[in-house]
Amino acid sequence: MIPTDPAERDALAGEYVLGTLDARAAAEVARAMETDPALREAVAAWEARLAPLTALAPPEAPPPGLWERIAASLDGPRQAPAVAKSRFLRVWALGASAVAAGLAVLLLVRPAPEQRLMTVLLTQRDQPAWLVEAQGGALRLASLNPQPVPSDRVMQLWALPQGASAPTSLGLIPAEQGRLTVTPSTIRPEPGMLIEITLEPPGGSPTGRPTGPILFIGRLAAARGT
Amino acid sequence: MEADADLPALLAAVAAGDRAALRRVYERQSVRLFGVANAILRDRDAAADALQDAFIKVARRAGQFDPARGSAEAWLGSIVRHAALDIIRARGRETPTDDPTLGDEAVAPEAEERLAASSEGRRLHECLAGLEPKNREGIVLAFVHGLSHPQIAARLGMPLGTVKSWIRRGLLALRECLA
Repeated sequence: MIPTDPAERDALAGEYVLGTLDARAAAEVARAMETDPALREAVAAWEARLAPLTALAPPEAPPPGLWERIAASLDGPRQAPAVAKSRFLRVWALGASAVAAGLAVLLLVRPAPEQRLMTVLLTQRDQPAWLVEAQGGALRLASLNPQPVPSDRVMQLWALPQGASAPTSLGLIPAEQGRLTVTPSTIRPEPGMLIEITLEPPGGSPTGRPTGPILFIGRLAAARGT
Repeated sequence: MEADADLPALLAAVAAGDRAALRRVYERQSVRLFGVANAILRDRDAAADALQDAFIKVARRAGQFDPARGSAEAWLGSIVRHAALDIIRARGRETPTDDPTLGDEAVAPEAEERLAASSEGRRLHECLAGLEPKNREGIVLAFVHGLSHPQIAARLGMPLGTVKSWIRRGLLALRECLA
């Protein structure tokens, strides 16, 4: 519950910015900010007060290739020349089977208990839209908040494994949004994998890479305490 | 924080869908921002994930940046911090906190210099200096290193309830001091 007392609300906004709220309370504040301009103001004022403290974090160069990962997870509308593209796909397939082999070895060496991975795909305004659960190699999706799709567009599901430079298509989402299960053949759900849904022309992206805007996005993480 | 006069204009271009502008924001800010994420996560892979999540948000929300309400650096820093905090919360805050150097950054001379590089930073530094040492340390451990109330309590050897009310009091004292 977001308190009504102004002093309590301001203290809550301060703790939200400080980062000490637990996941549930932080999500509640983030949600309330969408519709509560006064709370948004209070949070913005705390962000401004405490922002200089970020200077205490020692600057550090990010790993090489991170920009390319970021660019790949946004849309990739530039179509590569056909020859380059097929070579890219071959390299990608090789890489994917190497990853799969690596995973198989890992699974053989360390038969980890079945891990339950989950995420909620959020809209551009951080509203929950899809619940995604991964178990074994399958992804189960449930629509939380069906959204209208333009009649000349389809929704396409993608996964971007950690360290991969391009997302992999997991297929199209049926027009009657509800529940669906997909079992990707070339990748395996893993913690940290980005899952996204983009808006694409009928039949899906013609380039094998996302071409339209990202509607919903989330990152798989291990579910705890369930 | 060094003021970068071009950042607001770059963010305006990002809001219009300019990918090259986003890349320039990355080139100018990623070293600082990766440091912010890694101070919270203390795991370079996770910090890279946080930066990736943050830049996706920056691409989508650049239009919400309002220069009248604060610097572009502060806006970017806040997006990165919240992305890192989301990851640390999803992990159940299992990031190790027994590193003895944690929190001491606040007194490292080069960290002090970075804080004192802006007038806002100097003011905040003075206000922090007015707090009790454990109170100040609790706020730095939470903001810079992403420690939760229980982790701060364990680290400072204080009861959880005391830490919660101390930090809250510390925040309110800072607000008064900065007003």
